[in-house]
Amino acid sequence: MTRPSVLVPIRVLEGESLPEGVPELLANAHVVLLGYHVVPGQTAPGQARMQFEEKALTRLEEFETVFSEAGATVDHRLVFTHDAQQTIDRQIRENDCLAALVPRAVTELEDILVAVRGTVGVDRLARVVAGLFADREMDVTLYHVTSEDETDADVDVLLDGLADRLADENVDPDRIETRTDRDVKPVDAIADLAESYDCVVMGESDPTLSTFVFGMPADQVADRFLGPVLVVQREPTDDE
Amino acid sequence: MAEQPVDVEPGGENVAGETPAPEPEAVTDDTTVHDEDVELERTIGLTGGLAIGIGTMIGAGIFVFPGLAADNAGLAATLSFAIGGLVALLVALPTSELATAMPRSGGGYYFISRSLGTAGGAIVGLGLWLGLVFAAAFYLVGLGHYVVAVSAEIGITLSLGPAPPHVVLGLLFGAALTALSVAGTERTAALQNVIVVVLLVILTGVLSYGVLDALGVFGRQTVPDTFFSKGYSPVLSTAALVFTSYLGFAQVATVAGEIKRPSRNLPLAMVGSVIVVTVFYAVTILVATSTFGADRLGTFGETAMVNVGRNLLGLPGAVLILVAGLLATFSSANASILSASRSIYALSRDALLPRKASEINLKYGTPHVALAMAGGPILVLVATDSVEILAEVASFLHLVMYALICVALLVLRRRNPAWYDPDFRMPGAPALPAIGAVASVALIAFMNLASIVIGVVIMVLSYGWYRYYADDVRLKGDI
Repeated sequence: MTRPSVLVPIRVLEGESLPEGVPELLANAHVVLLGYHVVPGQTAPGQARMQFEEKALTRLEEFETVFSEAGATVDHRLVFTHDAQQTIDRQIRENDCLAALVPRAVTELEDILVAVRGTVGVDRLARVVAGLFADREMDVTLYHVTSEDETDADVDVLLDGLADRLADENVDPDRIETRTDRDVKPVDAIADLAESYDCVVMGESDPTLSTFVFGMPADQVADRFLGPVLVVQREPTDDE
Repeated sequence: MAEQPVDVEPGGENVAGETPAPEPEAVTDDTTVHDEDVELERTIGLTGGLAIGIGTMIGAGIFVFPGLAADNAGLAATLSFAIGGLVALLVALPTSELATAMPRSGGGYYFISRSLGTAGGAIVGLGLWLGLVFAAAFYLVGLGHYVVAVSAEIGITLSLGPAPPHVVLGLLFGAALTALSVAGTERTAALQNVIVVVLLVILTGVLSYGVLDALGVFGRQTVPDTFFSKGYSPVLSTAALVFTSYLGFAQVATVAGEIKRPSRNLPLAMVGSVIVVTVFYAVTILVATSTFGADRLGTFGETAMVNVGRNLLGLPGAVLILVAGLLATFSSANASILSASRSIYALSRDALLPRKASEINLKYGTPHVALAMAGGPILVLVATDSVEILAEVASFLHLVMYALICVALLVLRRRNPAWYDPDFRMPGAPALPAIGAVASVALIAFMNLASIVIGVVIMVLSYGWYRYYADDVRLKGDI
């Protein structure tokens, strides 16, 4: 099975180190380790590079070793930027990353919550979950918030289909659970439920007016859930 | 798209034993790539580039010069602004071409050091830093005048110690801006964009009214005037003076290393900002002179536009122009300080200044030494209160750079080294860049003797510094 590539962005110079448990979480991944440093507008990024490159590279290489020892394959990049989001988006695009990690500490990895939004993007979601968690001792809960225009049958097809696919790819079927809720706000429901899990996997939504105002659901969940969140990226579009 | 960078291996070391930093491996639309997978993100888009260009330029031309220019050249000051705009355009084209071939921080300094060698580079680079320092001082004195005018408008006469109040205010703003650049973590770039948009909206409104008024739409008599009321030669000396209003496009090139899609955005931002401000300047002078006549306009000095605003739209007009004048001079001074700091970084990267000069402090992540090297001399210059000399020396030092940019373009086109592959090729070479070089030097000839002397002394000192400090440093590319 091919390793899903996962972007791990770390603010390498601001004392942000590799959170505990993250190397184990991504042991089966191809990790694109992005060390980045945000400089204010008054400073040229090259100026920061002259001064901090060596220190940053040393730290990145330390992190790289930790990932390799946990079993992952690793590539690293170091970027000096004015705009962290632009840099992260570009790295996801250039390295064709299936998912990006919001790096947070996790002490024991026993159960993960997979938020399934709909049929769109379910393939990438499956590749991430199967790639990272196949043959590992973990409970996987597939969770869907049913919207008004969906029937329970639709949702069963969706979740069972995903469960079968994961089972085909060596995720222990006995450890896969499905769960649905109705008449709740997806972001709140996912964030509340997440509290009893060790890690959350969810998709990135298409930008809409409400994501523009309130932020991406994945970011909102990440703001409330204290553990690591794997954000599965949308299919890259052709015009990019 | 990954482009070939300049084929140059900078070498040698300065007296402190520092060597020039290695060149990047590649330049892409989004990044500058160094070895070991280290990248510098490009984050300034076309809007940001235009805002830097327009924001730097529009303060001086509209809010400081109309009165002074009308005093010197009468109605023909319009022609002086047009000449300035033409020269600026002649230089913006070769600058654009070089910038697309070498989109690195440092702008004109970088092009010249890589194509004409270290000596030329040092003279231009140090000149660019000091030129920006002179320009910033000039904008700050203008800003001081506007604050005085604002207080006068609300009935407060400022008295601030022995020095004239506008100088004291200029000093205060200069110190505050420098401190803000060191400690400010806000998004100054976004603020600059907003300021420029607000400015353009106010100006378009007031000027549109002014043009309709000048055409007699509102049934008022405009003041008739002879065009060359002061004779012909002041037209050129005024053009030399007001050229300070056209320096901003080169500031776009000083951040060339941070511009996204440089091959498209650099030429558009530079040429675009020159064209936009030239149109605004021409209309402003037209409206201002037709409102008052050049002679009366000349008596109003630095804040003449406030009187124009009041005459056109009453008190609200005066207030609008005052607000716009404050914003414009503020943004010009701010942009110049930041560009000066970028030039110091480029010089220090190449070991022409101590590496220490581009050091970043850990608390704010800002280059406090470079900012102080910009802010300190600015304060000294503001204290001299000589608006015209400040403006002319700033123009002098930029014009020397512009002339050499044109020469660099001619040399590169002639030798055509393999790495020289600009995405934007200016039309009309070699004739237009040759004319650009001659016109740049010619404008210098029309300045005050004092400005020329100061400019030449700075160039000689720069050359002396290079011979003393970095004689051994080699920056010239393979040409």
